[in-house]
Amino acid sequence: MNSHGTERIRKPLFTPGTYILLTLMGIGFSFGLTRMFAGLSAVTNLDNFFPWGIWIAVDVACGVALAAGGFTTAAFVEIFGKHKFKPLLRPAILTAWLGYAMVAIGLMFDLGRFWNIWRPLFNWQGNSGLFEVAMCVMAYLTVLTIEMSPSFLEGFKERIDQNKAGSKLLQHLEKPLLVIHRAVKVVLPIFILAGVVLSFMHQSSLGTIILIAPTKIHSLWFTPLLPLLFLMSAVMVGFPMVFIESLVASKVFGRISEMHLLEKMAKLVPWFIGLYGLVKFGDLVVRFNSIDFIGNPVYTITFVIEILAGVVLPFFLFTRSWVRRSRSLLFFSSLLVIFGLVLNRINVYLVAYDPPFATSKYFPSIGEIFFTVGMVATIMFLYRIVVTFFPVVQRCTCGECAARYKREEEQRKNALSTPWIRIIQGLALAMLLVFVLFYTFVHKQALAGTSSAFNWANKVTPVKNAPVELSPSPHLFRPEGYANLYMLDNEILNTATDFYEPVRFTHRTHDVVTDGNCGVCHHRFSMSEEDRIGENVKEFHMDFDVRIANAPCGSCHDMEDIYVQKCSTCHWLPGEPDDRNRLGLKGAYHQQCIGCHEGQPNAQRAPVDCLSCHHPYTPDHDALVQLSQDPDIQEVTSSCLSCHDSVGQDILHSAHWTWQGHSPSIRGHEHDVSLGRKTVFNNCSLAMGSDNVTCAQCHIGFGWNDEGFDFTDPQKIDCLVCHDTTQTYRKGKGGLPLESIDLVQVAASVGRPSRSNCGLCHFNSGGGANFKHGDLEPILADAPDDFDVHMGRYNLRCQDCHTTYQHHIAGESLASPAVEGRVQCVQCHGSAPHGISGMLSRHLDDHTRSVGCETCHIPFIAKETPTRVSVDFSRAGQDLAPEYDELGNSTYDKKIGSQKWAKNLIPEYLWYDGTREAHMIGDKIDPSDIVDLNRPLGERIDPSARIYPFKAHTAVQPFDTEQSTLVVLRFEESFWDHYDWNQAISEGMSRIGLEYSGSYDFVETRMYISIHHEVAPTRETLGCADCHSQSAVTCRRCHGQEMGEELPAHAYRIYPDAQKRMDFQKLGYQGDPALVGGRLYINPKR
Amino acid sequence: MNFTRRLFLKHTVAAGAGFFSIFKKKAHAQDHQPVTNELQVGCLVDTTLCIGCRQCEKACNLNNEMPKPEVPFTDKSVFREMRRPTENALTVVNEYVGNPSQDQPQRANTYTKVQCMHCLDPSCVSACIVGALTRTKDGAVVYNPVICLGCRYCMVACPFQIPAYEYEDALTPLVQKCEFCADFSQGTGADPSCAKACPTEAILFGKRTELLELARERISKRPDRYIDRIYGENEVGGTAWLYLAGRSLEEIDLLELPGDAPPRLTEKIQHTIFRFGAIPLAIYGALGAVMWHVNRKQDSEQDMEGDQNE
Ligand code: SF4
Ligand code: SF4
Ligand code: SF4
Repeated sequence: MNSHGTERIRKPLFTPGTYILLTLMGIGFSFGLTRMFAGLSAVTNLDNFFPWGIWIAVDVACGVALAAGGFTTAAFVEIFGKHKFKPLLRPAILTAWLGYAMVAIGLMFDLGRFWNIWRPLFNWQGNSGLFEVAMCVMAYLTVLTIEMSPSFLEGFKERIDQNKAGSKLLQHLEKPLLVIHRAVKVVLPIFILAGVVLSFMHQSSLGTIILIAPTKIHSLWFTPLLPLLFLMSAVMVGFPMVFIESLVASKVFGRISEMHLLEKMAKLVPWFIGLYGLVKFGDLVVRFNSIDFIGNPVYTITFVIEILAGVVLPFFLFTRSWVRRSRSLLFFSSLLVIFGLVLNRINVYLVAYDPPFATSKYFPSIGEIFFTVGMVATIMFLYRIVVTFFPVVQRCTCGECAARYKREEEQRKNALSTPWIRIIQGLALAMLLVFVLFYTFVHKQALAGTSSAFNWANKVTPVKNAPVELSPSPHLFRPEGYANLYMLDNEILNTATDFYEPVRFTHRTHDVVTDGNCGVCHHRFSMSEEDRIGENVKEFHMDFDVRIANAPCGSCHDMEDIYVQKCSTCHWLPGEPDDRNRLGLKGAYHQQCIGCHEGQPNAQRAPVDCLSCHHPYTPDHDALVQLSQDPDIQEVTSSCLSCHDSVGQDILHSAHWTWQGHSPSIRGHEHDVSLGRKTVFNNCSLAMGSDNVTCAQCHIGFGWNDEGFDFTDPQKIDCLVCHDTTQTYRKGKGGLPLESIDLVQVAASVGRPSRSNCGLCHFNSGGGANFKHGDLEPILADAPDDFDVHMGRYNLRCQDCHTTYQHHIAGESLASPAVEGRVQCVQCHGSAPHGISGMLSRHLDDHTRSVGCETCHIPFIAKETPTRVSVDFSRAGQDLAPEYDELGNSTYDKKIGSQKWAKNLIPEYLWYDGTREAHMIGDKIDPSDIVDLNRPLGERIDPSARIYPFKAHTAVQPFDTEQSTLVVLRFEESFWDHYDWNQAISEGMSRIGLEYSGSYDFVETRMYISIHHEVAPTRETLGCADCHSQSAVTCRRCHGQEMGEELPAHAYRIYPDAQKRMDFQKLGYQGDPALVGGRLYINPKR
Repeated sequence: MNFTRRLFLKHTVAAGAGFFSIFKKKAHAQDHQPVTNELQVGCLVDTTLCIGCRQCEKACNLNNEMPKPEVPFTDKSVFREMRRPTENALTVVNEYVGNPSQDQPQRANTYTKVQCMHCLDPSCVSACIVGALTRTKDGAVVYNPVICLGCRYCMVACPFQIPAYEYEDALTPLVQKCEFCADFSQGTGADPSCAKACPTEAILFGKRTELLELARERISKRPDRYIDRIYGENEVGGTAWLYLAGRSLEEIDLLELPGDAPPRLTEKIQHTIFRFGAIPLAIYGALGAVMWHVNRKQDSEQDMEGDQNE
């Protein structure tokens, strides 16, 4: 149809202009390439709030709109028969074709999964505006290609005729080319019409798609008319695009200008602009009240610019004939229209897009901008290529050329016979039909809500909400004989998640807290197992009497006999149909616990954070730990640290690692941070600092030898000694694991430390089982029920009391200075711990002001393994036979000297205010007296001091007679080889870098160890008469004769050797305070 | 040439008109409305019960096999900033200063869990170009990575700003959002891990109708505790996830949204314009008629003037 009237541009392709274009393309596509390799995040500023940037707003939205020159000109020329303007048509179609091709190519970079770009062909989602756009753009690109094809075919023909490069090849195609050309020509009207309709469709749909986000688009731009506005503005910009392109082309290619045509076309432009402006303005007026003009003036300003510069001004200009006649003014006005359109698209897609929660606004990155510029350059460059090789622009009218064109035309005319033409036309119509049918089908499906696109999801079957088969299983598990401890563990609880170990619920403590009002938790009771609703306890009792309802349950009920409702009688799963509001078991627990805990004043006693009640399960490390066949401990540690990197850093600062730290309770050293094992004396082993290899067995590192140790290297941490759960891990010399240990197995089963982990060192401190502490003996790793209430009955782990934070472990030993937090009974038991039963508990609570809990509750230590109470090093080295006491403990050993042991030891009692002295290495001593190494401080008149139990350990040990300082000596490889005191001392002293005068003697020293473990059950605690004179144990002494005489039986109980226990005189009293009065006040009735 | 063209144009126009009339009868079909059937499930989030323990985040992370986060789930420092669901965390809990309701003066903070709301009439589903997002029978909005193009239109569409995208991934990025723990590989619908994990039962999973009743019951029983509003009951056409709150929704970042579902507008436009291809066909026909008419006139003019151009 328009095969006539065009020719190629015959000018050199490579000019400075094209070089600039090529450079821009190069830059742009290098950013594109980066996106392909490093992802969108590497090039764009897109994020979860702004998923669309300028690659969509400009490359696609503007690109499609600016390609409107194609369909408007086609409609103008071909449909409305303005054949005069034909010369403008092919360039316009070419521009459109290139524009759409670039949209497609640009999308390949913006789409995250661009290789799926063909999917819409098969997954039809007729509800989606974007689907509409995609299908239309694909179809229209095909139509444009068909419209463009005559140019290409003619270009090939010319090559053949002129014997240009490639003509040999093309020669064989001469006939098909002719046929195709003819075929295209006979169906072209169908496609020209289709092209216009398709353009209408997707130009408007580009407006529809943004309407899906009404709450995110600023009200200035959000209007249901957006599709119409988009269409009208596309039509508006069509002609100006043609003007620009024609003016530029005629200038660049130095051809005759087509102003005479442009001028006429330009007369139509004000109509298009005006109509668009009218609709836009009308829309504004209608929606005026709902528009937010002042909220953010930036929006209003850009909006006004868009209207004034892009619509009003060009409208005015295009109505003037002097504008239309002037090349430059026409150019300028057209540019304005284009500017207005581009600004509009950017406004709608980016500026107006205001997602909730976004903290900043999107602005394109350098990469996005350059890529977009590169795309524009590509269009221009390709345009240049096409017009150079194919006839697009108006052709030469000289006679020679005209004759050639005429000849070609004739040739083509005969290429197809009439029946064939019919068939081809029929096929084209059929194509159209198929498209329409397809369309109808897609929309029908979408309307019915059965889009084929959704087929994939139809396979899903809803989860049945049928009630789970459950029965009132025991929800709390009470270990045999454990009166007050419950494990909150139950299948109902665990149907959901199981991130945590069951809670140990101390029932009696909670009983105390609620003042014996069981109804706080047991708020309903049912009479049968089937009844899962029951009656409200409070209301039930209210029916009798208000006073009954408010009294402690125990005042009427015998708690041993009463059937108490379990939580899980009623509470199973949440929201069950018979009573939707009834909580599930998990919710019942947590809401109940948290509800109370949150109201409590003492956050430490009633914690609300998860980890105070729960322990998280350690994940199975079997699969997580990757080790070689036969790893060494170093490899294990590296493997641990590869995940637990920060833990390594924490440990480097912990006292278990540094063996030194803050010593807030040592008098005179409250602010020191570097006291430690190496600076203070203890009298269990005299080798401190001189024998690292042996000492290192109890260090949480490995590889500490006499040369030293790098305390800054986390790779030297021995994780397994604390986290081994197989109980097979043992450390040897230098802290290295013994050869026989299967490190792979140990590493695979790591978990939370148990008592035996801590016990590896702490049960054996001082040289052997229970040597030093007295209250920490190996049996505690698996303690019998009554041996220690915490570790036996309640099976608590060490860290349950010795709370840890970043591997700093709370607890304080008198033997070592560093403290990382205190552990005190009050932290769980509170300051009034003795329960609710009236006078006696009050009386006992009063005791806590002067007596530490441990004093009454730990009547004996070393209940299983004897502990050493004294050692006489001065006797070491004598060639005597080893001696043993009746329990089999060594009482003489050549290596050590003579030792004394005690089992079921009664502690010593001293005032203790939490501070103490510490004998530092190098401190002077007075050899005439027993030397106290760490005396606890406090005295009777000090209100902050209380009586605490201690184990005393005495030693006869060497000192430097000249300097009056205690000395260390080296046993291993020294004393035990030659038994020469002088040599062993000088070796030991030189190893820790101290002077030794060469003369030594022996002095007796004493060390106190505080007692906190082996807490006896209630019935075994001290009775009143164990400390106080039997005659003083009566209430009447204070409360008068009218007072009853009933005290619980155990109040009178006395251990056989009671007299030896409490020496009140030594403690500073005049006598038994029960008789002579307390320390801070005088008993008024004495 | 003239003959063929004329004949052809005639055919074209006739064909167009023919189609138009064929489908005219059926042009009254109901607009597609989202079906909320008795299977519709949902979750009720009671923000007055949430304690910010982040167990839901943890359960979600594990169930969806997401990468391990840098800070553990026990670390509350994450509350220092407001978070949104990301490609690595489908649900997040945010902390807001102030007690969750007047009724709970002892609580210093309110916590709100955020995830996909599983709209009854989801914008993302309506938007998705290929149907990679869709609703299952029980109302879970699920995602099919196989057909997704990564156009991110769903992210533009979602009124709650939920879907997140793996921008770092160069070639196979995915849209990530809560899928209600529907397990497509098992062919099962919603089965939320977060609800199971929640220790206080602040998240309740069940049939949406029942949850609504339950929520109303809670509000009427405890008017001092709850504001009289079930968030998600009507927002953008209703959502499967419902929220109860004890303080103003704005304070805890629950967006005030219109009751109309956005897809009702766009789909209406789409299906009005393109229903049975009627309007495009009409335009096609009209333009064809113009073309035919104009060309016939010009042809006859040319016939008289003699062939100058051809
Ligand atoms: S909240 Fe957003 S992502 Fe979720 S269903 Fe609704 S629209 Fe889709
Ligand atoms: S990004 Fe994927 S899921 Fe989202 S709209 Fe596009 S194709 Fe659909
Ligand atoms: S329903 Fe599943 S995917 Fe959604 S937030 Fe809960 S756990 Fe995550």
